[in-house]
Amino acid sequence: MANQNPTREEGLANKLKTRFPEAIKNSKIEGKHRITIPFDKDKLLDIAEFMRDELGFDHVKGVAGVDDPTHKKIEILYFTASLSKPEIEDIILVLQTELARDNPTIASAVSVWESAHFHERETFEMFGVKFEGHPDLRKLLTLDNWDGPPPMLKDIKFPEMGQR
Amino acid sequence: MINWSRMYALWPVHITTACCSAEFGAMMGPRLDPERFGLQAVAGGLRQCDLLIVEGTVTKKMAKRLKIVYEQMAKPRYVVAMGDCACSGGLFHDSYSIVNDVHKLFPVDVYVPGCPPRPEALLSAIVKLREKIRREEVFA
Amino acid sequence: MTTTPDQTKPLAPPITITAAKEPSTLDVSVGPQHPGSGHMRILIRVDGDYIVSVDPDIGYVHRGCEKIAEYRTAVSNIPHLERPCIIDAIHLNWGYVLPIQELQGVVVPPRGQYISTIAAEMNRIMSHLYWLAINAGVFTGHTTIFMYAFGDRDLFIELAEMLTGARLTYSFLPPGGPRRDLPAEFQDRLLKLLDYFERRLVEYDRIFFSNPLVIARAKGIGTLKREEAIRLGLTGPVLRGSGVKYDVRKVEPYGAYADLDFEIPTFEEGDSYARFLVRFEEMKQSIKIIRQALEKMPKGPIARKAPLIIPEGEAIGRVESSRGELAYMVKGDNSDKPSRVKIMNGSFRSLIAFPYLLRNVHVADLPVIYGSLDYWPLEADR
Repeated sequence: MANQNPTREEGLANKLKTRFPEAIKNSKIEGKHRITIPFDKDKLLDIAEFMRDELGFDHVKGVAGVDDPTHKKIEILYFTASLSKPEIEDIILVLQTELARDNPTIASAVSVWESAHFHERETFEMFGVKFEGHPDLRKLLTLDNWDGPPPMLKDIKFPEMGQR
Repeated sequence: MINWSRMYALWPVHITTACCSAEFGAMMGPRLDPERFGLQAVAGGLRQCDLLIVEGTVTKKMAKRLKIVYEQMAKPRYVVAMGDCACSGGLFHDSYSIVNDVHKLFPVDVYVPGCPPRPEALLSAIVKLREKIRREEVFA
Repeated sequence: MTTTPDQTKPLAPPITITAAKEPSTLDVSVGPQHPGSGHMRILIRVDGDYIVSVDPDIGYVHRGCEKIAEYRTAVSNIPHLERPCIIDAIHLNWGYVLPIQELQGVVVPPRGQYISTIAAEMNRIMSHLYWLAINAGVFTGHTTIFMYAFGDRDLFIELAEMLTGARLTYSFLPPGGPRRDLPAEFQDRLLKLLDYFERRLVEYDRIFFSNPLVIARAKGIGTLKREEAIRLGLTGPVLRGSGVKYDVRKVEPYGAYADLDFEIPTFEEGDSYARFLVRFEEMKQSIKIIRQALEKMPKGPIARKAPLIIPEGEAIGRVESSRGELAYMVKGDNSDKPSRVKIMNGSFRSLIAFPYLLRNVHVADLPVIYGSLDYWPLEADR
C-alpha cells in the first residue's frame, strides 16, 4: 500500500532506523497492524528502552524462538505492543534477531520489559537460549517432565512422533 | 453390608489432571446429581477419600504427585481412568512429557473412553464401579 | 510473633522466594491437590498469616502442544490446539486459523463470519459460567453458584451440540470457514435460551455478586493499579478490571465484530471484585452480540475451500478469548505441516500477576485472588 505520506507503521520504523542506523537496517511492514524489525542482538537493551520511553511500546506479548538448523541459527522474536497509547494500540511490532545455534546468548529484556519474565524462562528451557541478566533463569514447564536437551530444537526428533 | 456402605459413600479426591475435568465438573452438576450415589466433592482431607479419578492426560510431573496421592488414600481405594489420554495415551500419545500407561502407576478399576467422555458415560462408569464393589470379597 | 508485616522494610523481590529466609517464615506448597483444585502449584512463603513471597510452579499439564503442532498437518492440528482451553475451544480454534487464512489468501464469506461470531460468543458465556462456578464460586466457598452456573451451562452446551455435534471440543472452524450451517430450529431455541439466561443473570446478581459475604471477601483484595497492569503486560478481564479499555474485538476486529454494536465493560478499582464484575458484564454484552448477529445474519455460502498447504511465510493472528488476548504466530514452509506455531495466551501472561498480587495478603485471600485472575493452567502450560 504505497502512500504519498508515510503511514504510521512506516513512521515508527523510520524513527527506529534513524536512531539505530547500524543495528537496524531494514523493516518489513505487512498490512495495517504488523511491523517486523530485524536488529543486531547486541543492541537489544538500548532499542528496548527507546521503544518503551519514546515510542510507547510498553509490554511484551511473547518471546518466541524459531530453530533453523539449515542456516545454523536460532531466531528470537519479541512481540511488543502498546497499551498506553491508543493511537498505536493495534500494532504488533516484532523485533527479530538471530543467534548462533551452538551457543545462543542474548541480554535479558526483563530490566526494561518486566512482562518478558516468564516468556524468557520458557524460551530458555525450550531452545537452550541463555538470557544474561535474567533474575531467575530456571526451567519452568519441563522441570520434572523432560530431562534431555531443549525439546523444541528441530534435531530432537522423538521416535514416536509423526508416524503418519 | 460393608460393601453396601462402601459403594454408597464414594468420595472423589480433589485433584484435576487435565481437560477431562471440565466434564467431571459437569457430572457433579445439578443435572446428573451424583450425590444420590454418594459422590460428594468434600473439601476435606485426602485420607477420607476413596475414589481417585484420573481425568485426562497424565504428564510425568503430575504422575509423581498422583502416585503420592494414591498412596496417601486410605484403603479401600478405587481408581477410574477417565478419557482417552488416561486409558492409553489418546490424542497426545507421542508427546515427550506424558505417561501413556496409567495402569503402571497404580491398579485401575474402570476405564472410561472418550475425548472427553460425556458426563453420563462417567456416571455409568461409577455405577459399574459400585457393582464391582458390591461383589467384592471384603476379607480376601 | 509478628502479627502484621513491617511496612517500612522493602518488600521481598517479587518473583522468586528469597534465598535468605527469615526464621519466622514457613514454606508451604499449595499443591496440585487442593480443595480448589487447579493443576498448578504455588509455593508460598508465609510469615504468620501473611504471604511474604510466592513462586508459581507450573508444567503439570505441559503436553508439548507447540512441538506436536510441527508434526501434524495444519487441519489435524485443530483438535490438538483446542484442548489447552477446552471450555473456550472456538476461540483457540479461530485464533489458529486466522494466520493460516492470511497466508493462504482465503477470505471467509460474511455468513461464515457471523456463524463463527455467534459460536464464539456462546463459548464466552460458557467459559464465564465455568469461571463463575469454580473459580469464583468454589474457591470462595460459595457452592450454590456452582450448581446454578453448571446447570445453566449445560443448556448452552446442548445448543452447541446441536450446532457442531460435540459438547466441548467442537473443531468447528477449519481454514475457510465453519463446518456447518445453523440447523433449522437453532435460532428460535437460542433466542429463547437468551431470554431465560437474562433472567438468570438477575438471580446471579442477587445471590453472588451482591452477596455481602462475597463483597467482603473480594472488595479491596488484590488491587492491581492501571500502570502496573500495563507494565506487566496483562490482558483480558484482568486488564479491563484495572481501568484499561482494551479488547481485540474493537482494536483489530475480526469476524463480524466490526458491524456489531457492543461495549467493553471496564472498571477502575482494580481489585478482585472489579474483575468479577468485568466478567459478569461481559456475559450481558455477549447476549447482546448474539441477538444482533442473529438478526443481521446475511445469506450466502458459509465457507470457502482452502488449500491443504500452508505457503511460505509468517503471520500473526489474534482473537479475544475469555481469558484475554490469544495470539498465534504460524510459520509455513510450503508443506502441509506448519514449521512453527507459537501460542501467546492470556493465562500465561497472567502468571506474572501471581508474585505481584500475592504479597502481604492473608493466606485466605489466596483463593480469591487466584480465582479472580481466572488462570487456566492447561492453557498456560499448553
